[in-house]
Amino acid sequence: MGPEAVSAATEVAAGAVSAGAVSAVSAASSLPPTGLALVLAKVSWFIVVPGFYIALAFALVALVWRLVVIFRAPPPPFQLAIYPAPRSAFGAAMRDAFGMPQVRRKDPVFWVFLMVFHIGLFGIFFGHVDILPQVSLVREGSRDMIGAGVFGLMVTVPVFWFIGRRFKSPVREISTPGDYILLLLLLFTFLLGDLMSWGNSWTAQGFVMTKADFATYFDGLLKFKFEDPRVYLHGTHYHFLTLHLLLAEATLMVLPFTKVMHAFLSLPVNVVRRRVWT
Amino acid sequence: MDLMTRRGFALSADTVASGGAGSSELSARLKVLFETKLNAAMRMYLDTCARCGICVESCHVYASMPETRYSAVGRAEVVRKIFRRYFKVQGRFAPWLGEVLEFDDDTVRRLYDAAYSCTGCRRCMVHCPFGIDTQQIMGIAKALLLGADQEPKILSMLSDMSVTKGETIVDTRDAFAQALGNLEGEVLALWPKVTKRADGSPNAAIPYGQQGARVLYVALSGSHSMVNAAAIMNAARESWTISSFEAVNFAAFVGDSAKMKLIAARIVNEAKALGVAEVAIVECGTAYRVMRHMMGPQPFKVVAFVELIARYVKEGRIRLDDSLLEGDVTYHDPCQIARNGGIYEEPREVLRAVTPRFVELTPNRAENWCCGGGGGLISMGEMDFRMKSSKVKAEQIAASGAKVITTACENCHSQLVDLNEHYGLGLKVEFLSAIVAKALIS
Repeated sequence: MGPEAVSAATEVAAGAVSAGAVSAVSAASSLPPTGLALVLAKVSWFIVVPGFYIALAFALVALVWRLVVIFRAPPPPFQLAIYPAPRSAFGAAMRDAFGMPQVRRKDPVFWVFLMVFHIGLFGIFFGHVDILPQVSLVREGSRDMIGAGVFGLMVTVPVFWFIGRRFKSPVREISTPGDYILLLLLLFTFLLGDLMSWGNSWTAQGFVMTKADFATYFDGLLKFKFEDPRVYLHGTHYHFLTLHLLLAEATLMVLPFTKVMHAFLSLPVNVVRRRVWT
Repeated sequence: MDLMTRRGFALSADTVASGGAGSSELSARLKVLFETKLNAAMRMYLDTCARCGICVESCHVYASMPETRYSAVGRAEVVRKIFRRYFKVQGRFAPWLGEVLEFDDDTVRRLYDAAYSCTGCRRCMVHCPFGIDTQQIMGIAKALLLGADQEPKILSMLSDMSVTKGETIVDTRDAFAQALGNLEGEVLALWPKVTKRADGSPNAAIPYGQQGARVLYVALSGSHSMVNAAAIMNAARESWTISSFEAVNFAAFVGDSAKMKLIAARIVNEAKALGVAEVAIVECGTAYRVMRHMMGPQPFKVVAFVELIARYVKEGRIRLDDSLLEGDVTYHDPCQIARNGGIYEEPREVLRAVTPRFVELTPNRAENWCCGGGGGLISMGEMDFRMKSSKVKAEQIAASGAKVITTACENCHSQLVDLNEHYGLGLKVEFLSAIVAKALIS
């Protein structure tokens, strides 16, 4: 598919968010791409379809492996709690892990951003789940993802703040290159995600790629159809989707090897702090 | 200048001859040593830190000397960077991402700087959103220093002496009993009556080797740790006997877990042989924590001596004169007894019995600032570092307006005495047991 065809497809898609538009794009897509366009089309397809499976499988296997290594290690030889002992170690650890009272007391502004960020993460997770045609967490036929872009902002804005904070002393002195790269990876993944969930509605005709289009793509992934989603995901926004997927896949794949492991270890490590057993 | 250089330490001849700490043989040995420390909690501590910086200002050393290397995360990162290098995929494929450290002479210096500027107070653990235990991570640093033969030799020497004493106790029992007898006068000056044996005959002021006694009291080598306690237990008509061993565990300071257990096991075995119901540990935070929380379940109960005093006060077994102390009296929570041992209220109950003018330090209990003398620093000397790194502690004490500061830990007491003099605080520094012994009334 050449650039003209894509452009034509985009214009048509922007002109009508309907099955008619989809068929128009399908028609445009039916023109066989050649040369560099063909290579790019194949790379795009690899990223948005097999790449997703590879990244997810890799992340899951690596995550399980990391957790097995950690939890099959010998337990600590003696109690590592601090006092006062809570009535329920697990309850206290839950409060520590999900409420972060230590951060709230020491740095309330940081805590607000952290809470907004983590709630936002849950929001975007469910937002993605809700796209599946088999799932309906919001009213049937809603054109928006859950939160209508708000969850995207809830993760994006704090990441800007986290990056800024990391450039300031004393956090700057304890940061490693990996800390900055991870934040940048998240930032661009989120920004491109915002473009999907929110930015792609900033046209006179509303959504270029509709929730229904994404649902078709997700359904294809779920059913291992291996079809090219370019057929029903319209316009130049598709390239941003590809980049969004690429960065999300990179995030997934590095996740088990980075400090993001705290997502899985925060609760058990807090239990160690709270559990009095001698 | 790092602590190691400032303290005049040079890498040992063996280390240098073998090509320094970076030699492949030594590196391999240190890697194995590191791996032995990787229990589940340690792996989580090393993997979870988000470098959020919340712990930075928790450390009294950082609060007094604001350098990143003196923050909890700054110290832990030295160990974490070695962990990334040798135990993580990142260290193999993208070491620059985590600024990894290889085992070399500079890394050994950094380990020393981190490990022996940390008192193991675990105040940072209170503030960390994940509860990462920097003291445990510094345990790795100390183990690696031992492996590289770069630990503070004074601590190793003291630790070895304790082990040797355990091996030669049969030969020294008589001399010890005689030394105890020499202290009788001091004990009787505080409390003139002594407990009675099962057959009704008078006991020694400091009973020793009493089979079937209810309490085994484990003192330190200093007579003050025996005399005051003896007077208090005699006043409470306690059935007790003194341990042949001193409670202090230098191996815990130097990070030698095998010797730490060996030293504590001497007391465990003695308590079992005597058939006591309780082992009361002298006012020594580390000794208490090791015996209470690191030796596993025992057929006897382990208490800190301050708990025993509080019990006597509560049960009316001792009566105290509350008019002896002048001015406001405050209490310094020793980290290993309070934050890491759970004893917060007992010392306060005791203090309220000896003075109507008890005032709290701010912050206190779990948030209390460490005195700055723990982790072996007192035994190592380190006066200059201890004074500079505890400026915040001196300010905290001065702000309380107290005229007397009490504590229940030998290290804390020594450090508070030094701080009092160095910063001209004009306080009296007292052991809790000392003021109780002086306040005993019949």
